[in-house]
Amino acid sequence: MPAHDVLIIGAGLAGQRAALAAAEAGASVAIMSKVHPVRSHSNAAAGGINAALNPDDSWESHAFDTVKGSDYLGDQDAIEIMCREAPGEVLWLEHRGVTFHRNGEGKLGTRAFGGASAARTYYVADITGQALLHVLYEQLMKAHAQVDRYEEWFVTALVQDDEGDCCGAVARNIRDGSMGLFAAKAVIQASGGAGQCFKPTTNALICTGDGIAQSFRVGAPLMDMEMIQYHPTTLAGNGILITEGARGEGAHLYNAEGERFMEKYAPNKMELASRDVVSRSEQTEINEGRGFPDGTVALDITKVPRKRTLEALREIVNIGRDFAGVDITREPIHIKPGCHYIMGGVKTDIWGATNIPGLYAAGEVACVSVHGGNRLGANSLLDTLIFGRRSGEHAAQRAAGMAMPQPSEAALANERQMIDRIIAREAGGRRISEIKDELGEMMNEKCAVFRTQEGLTEARSTIRRLMEEASVAAIDDRGTVFNQDVLGAIELGYMLEVAECIVMGALERKESRGAQFRLDYPQRDDGAWLKHINLSPNGGEGPRISYSPVTMTQWEPQERTY
Amino acid sequence: MKVAYWPGCVSRGFTPELHGSMALVAPLLDIELVELDRASCCGAGVIAEHNQELADTLNARTFALAQQVEGADMMMNICSTCQGAQSECQERLDANTEYRDHVNETLAAEGLTYDRGIANKHFLWLMVEEIGLEAIAAMVTQPLTGLRVGPFYGCYIVRPTDRLGIDRAHPRDSYLHQLIETLGGTVADYAGQYKCCGFPIITMNQEASLKQAGRHLGDALDADADCLVTPCPLCHLNLDLQQPLAEKVVGRPLGMPVLHLPQMVGLALGLEPKQLGLNKHVVKPTSVIDWSTSVVAGVPHAA
Amino acid sequence: MADYILRLRRYSPETGDAPYWEDFQVDLDGHRSVLDGILQAKDRTDASIGIRCSCRAAICGSCGVRINGKPRLACHMHLDKAVEDAPDGVISVEPMGNMPVIKDLIVDMDAVHWKKIQRVTPWLLPDGPDPEQEHIVAPESMIDVTQTMACIQCGACVSDCLSMEVDPLFIGPAALAKAYRFVGDPRDGQRYERLKDLSEDPHGIYDCTHCFNCIEACPKGVAPMSQIMRLRRIAGSDHEIDDRNNGHRHEKAFVKNIERNGLLHEADLLPDSYGGKFHPRAIPVLTSSLPVVLAALMRGKVTPKKALLHQHKASDDVKRIYKHVHDKEKRYELNLYVAGEEEDAGDEAGEAVQASAAGSQLPEERSPNT
Repeated sequence: MPAHDVLIIGAGLAGQRAALAAAEAGASVAIMSKVHPVRSHSNAAAGGINAALNPDDSWESHAFDTVKGSDYLGDQDAIEIMCREAPGEVLWLEHRGVTFHRNGEGKLGTRAFGGASAARTYYVADITGQALLHVLYEQLMKAHAQVDRYEEWFVTALVQDDEGDCCGAVARNIRDGSMGLFAAKAVIQASGGAGQCFKPTTNALICTGDGIAQSFRVGAPLMDMEMIQYHPTTLAGNGILITEGARGEGAHLYNAEGERFMEKYAPNKMELASRDVVSRSEQTEINEGRGFPDGTVALDITKVPRKRTLEALREIVNIGRDFAGVDITREPIHIKPGCHYIMGGVKTDIWGATNIPGLYAAGEVACVSVHGGNRLGANSLLDTLIFGRRSGEHAAQRAAGMAMPQPSEAALANERQMIDRIIAREAGGRRISEIKDELGEMMNEKCAVFRTQEGLTEARSTIRRLMEEASVAAIDDRGTVFNQDVLGAIELGYMLEVAECIVMGALERKESRGAQFRLDYPQRDDGAWLKHINLSPNGGEGPRISYSPVTMTQWEPQERTY
Repeated sequence: MKVAYWPGCVSRGFTPELHGSMALVAPLLDIELVELDRASCCGAGVIAEHNQELADTLNARTFALAQQVEGADMMMNICSTCQGAQSECQERLDANTEYRDHVNETLAAEGLTYDRGIANKHFLWLMVEEIGLEAIAAMVTQPLTGLRVGPFYGCYIVRPTDRLGIDRAHPRDSYLHQLIETLGGTVADYAGQYKCCGFPIITMNQEASLKQAGRHLGDALDADADCLVTPCPLCHLNLDLQQPLAEKVVGRPLGMPVLHLPQMVGLALGLEPKQLGLNKHVVKPTSVIDWSTSVVAGVPHAA
Repeated sequence: MADYILRLRRYSPETGDAPYWEDFQVDLDGHRSVLDGILQAKDRTDASIGIRCSCRAAICGSCGVRINGKPRLACHMHLDKAVEDAPDGVISVEPMGNMPVIKDLIVDMDAVHWKKIQRVTPWLLPDGPDPEQEHIVAPESMIDVTQTMACIQCGACVSDCLSMEVDPLFIGPAALAKAYRFVGDPRDGQRYERLKDLSEDPHGIYDCTHCFNCIEACPKGVAPMSQIMRLRRIAGSDHEIDDRNNGHRHEKAFVKNIERNGLLHEADLLPDSYGGKFHPRAIPVLTSSLPVVLAALMRGKVTPKKALLHQHKASDDVKRIYKHVHDKEKRYELNLYVAGEEEDAGDEAGEAVQASAAGSQLPEERSPNT
């Protein structure tokens, strides 16, 4: 049985960073990913990574912007740590070879981004996430003697010992269908978000909430699940993202009447207000009939000088042309808010530890919380790296002081049976894709930018019905080599559990804060709701709710205007 | 029409039959060739590999000389490699005024200057786009009836498509197909027709080079082609001159004659094989094909 | 919505059957991608269809396939364009080439692509300890390596590499473009070592047959062949690396040949590529070329006079240009990917430049044939 000090699930930025940190700390490391590491969704992050490196800037300013951006739901101790450690992290990345953009003096150069009071976003053209991910993978290839990579292995369950500590995982080798039991002294979940619960979404097909569900199933509480970020500029229909960088470079938003409507909602920051504000503004315009017939508004990038667009926004020139048939340097492009990021996730402390000993989480899968009710652009890349590193270090430390656990073979047998049952399913069930589509469309309607009690209640019962249908959904592929059908069935299970948690959180929070907007509770209510909502498993009944306080260090909640 | 004619180097060196056949065919197509005798080698991509500015300057000079030919409708070349190498240089020169000015400064000492946007077309493109296939069809006196011709496009004249102006309006990567049919022949499609003859690596990896040539010739044989036609003399060298060695590398007898483009056109327009220099090839088309009846006689290859 | 027929190449290693084609009818708007079509077929009809995919937006590099015979990202090709390119209106989709097929449209990239990437030591080898702050590097150099950093490792270039087809050991376009990412990065301290290694390897930078397939295939404008040429240029001119494969010698011989003769004198080129007519390296080649030479002489293709004497002489103007360029301290290299487009460029030329500079791979009216 493969046995490592630290087993990392997910090889996006958080997972890879954790692996490098743990290896540097002397641990034996395994990193496992259901896709090749460079396919991870981190590579879609376009705009940049925030850090207060500029001597005229300060980490406190960055931290305050983040706290305010979070609508005061973010834990300020975690935010302070993230912002304080950001400059060092960016320099670490540069030393490893990231090809950051430079200013005229050859030093790291910045661009403007949403919700920030100073330009502090460091970038590589509009492929920052890709550049970071590929450089980290270069480092992983370099560290091949210390880090074992299990590429295209799909984790089906975390394993616990008799005390309930996490001691490993069971995974399926996608290539040949064999199952393996992996022992580890510490497991770090870094498997990303759950955008596929919504349709459309900017997220990749692989973002199915695997780690959130797996951690939940072993008892790790989830936190702030209702906080789903709708990115203001996504293409209608396929949900493809148009980076915030466009607005950072000076693009404007217009409704169908030609009004630059952000003036009404955020007169100071305009298009660079925080994402939830912009998304709500757009959705309001659309709902009140001032949008285009396809349910969109217009993003006008012609305002940016053409040469600059071709230099700094090349990817979206290509996206505009290839996916929308529009030359963004000559005409506006139609966009609408689209599901993009989940601020909520597995609850962790500032070292990435969950309350299950031996189980850590970092990156989008986790909720520390640094993003609270809304995430600022270019803070996600930062989050993954800071907490990826911290969880890797802490996990290595934990591992140093203990003996290798012996996960029980029963866990492996269980998972094998689970797979066998799926493969043996009788014909006649509903197709997996239909269930998934119904889930996604329903969530996009009832659990989106604007929510109501009735809508959320209906959502919950729909999810329960879909869970029934999913348990007998049709399977076509009964083979062992690259059986994506079976994996799809397992992922569907994860998505439905995660969706239920999202809806439960949204139902519970009877206020509007950050990304959560309840039409029946439109105000922010610090008195009653300045707290985190936690969800824990409760047999088959659906999650049990509890609360935890928001950690405040320096900043008292204020009215949030842009 | 009148063209500023760039014959390239190899047509005046190791494939003189190309130069000769072009000279015979041009008047039949009403093309007046004004040869650019002061121009230098295009660099074949090798000079550009060594130093882009050198290649760009040498070719800018050739373009400038072409632009000086009075009354010329355009510049014409007869070599895919020239077309590709020159198009690459032209792309850089045309894209950037500062660079073009810089190169023109060097040319100034000779009293030359390159004006942006020269039309430089390979004989193949010129025939289809300027003369027209219908006009050519009307001139055919000896249709290549029953002759199965495998088009060998190679690389430099078909990739990259955007640099070479290949699009739906100008499907230049199908012109050989169209021409063969216009001349009365039958196209023999085969696997290697858009692949590389291997010439660029003949000194660096002779085996890989000749394996490519050998395979494509073999593919054509398997497709029952009677001969290949190529618009590039460098391809011709690797496919014809080197065919005996290629046979050894791929381990099969080939005996596949390779025609230059003007030779194929000349045959259909009524010229004699010997006039067109067909007997100068290493794999003599005159040994393999009975041109007197324009029908394949099935004579085995005499090495 | 319209109907399209996708002809997918199926293969399952478990059945023991040979690969076969299977047609699927899909019903989607024409601007949706071939990947959307394949996923619809998978969702509605046969969930056993194997294809790697993730982002759907041409970023992750998972869905490399051959559509109508050409290597593309499936998510990056519209159905209505794909059908125009298909001779009988049926869009064929098969796995990428040069790599073993695992199942259906899934190839073993570890066996070929990643192996070759690892061959070029694909991580930064800094020169000395880390500075306190960031390394100071010129902005142009970072923009320059952004071109190779843009590679998403999709394998499309590897799929159709013609050198790799005849020489499977060729390091290949993706790996060599990756090598440039380091050679071109001022922070890397092993430039000479990298170049020496890749020049001396018989399957290294001089094994590229210069066919442009990789430039054509790349969805991101990386232009791998151009990077290989840059590596040759830097290895030969800046580091005087005289590789055992005769690559640099050939380049030098060609360049000198034109300097001397104005036009190429082929008879000199071959022996000079090996070091000269009487060089020990040249003798076996010249000997084995004797039958070829004799055949050429017998045919009258070449006369002894032509072969031995230089028919042409470079004009003073050509020699002057050579001297002018060679006398410069630093090469003047214009990279259109970096220089971008001129604002006052006329639309047609501007778009041609943008097409290559922006690296877009979906020009409106792509020709179907190559």
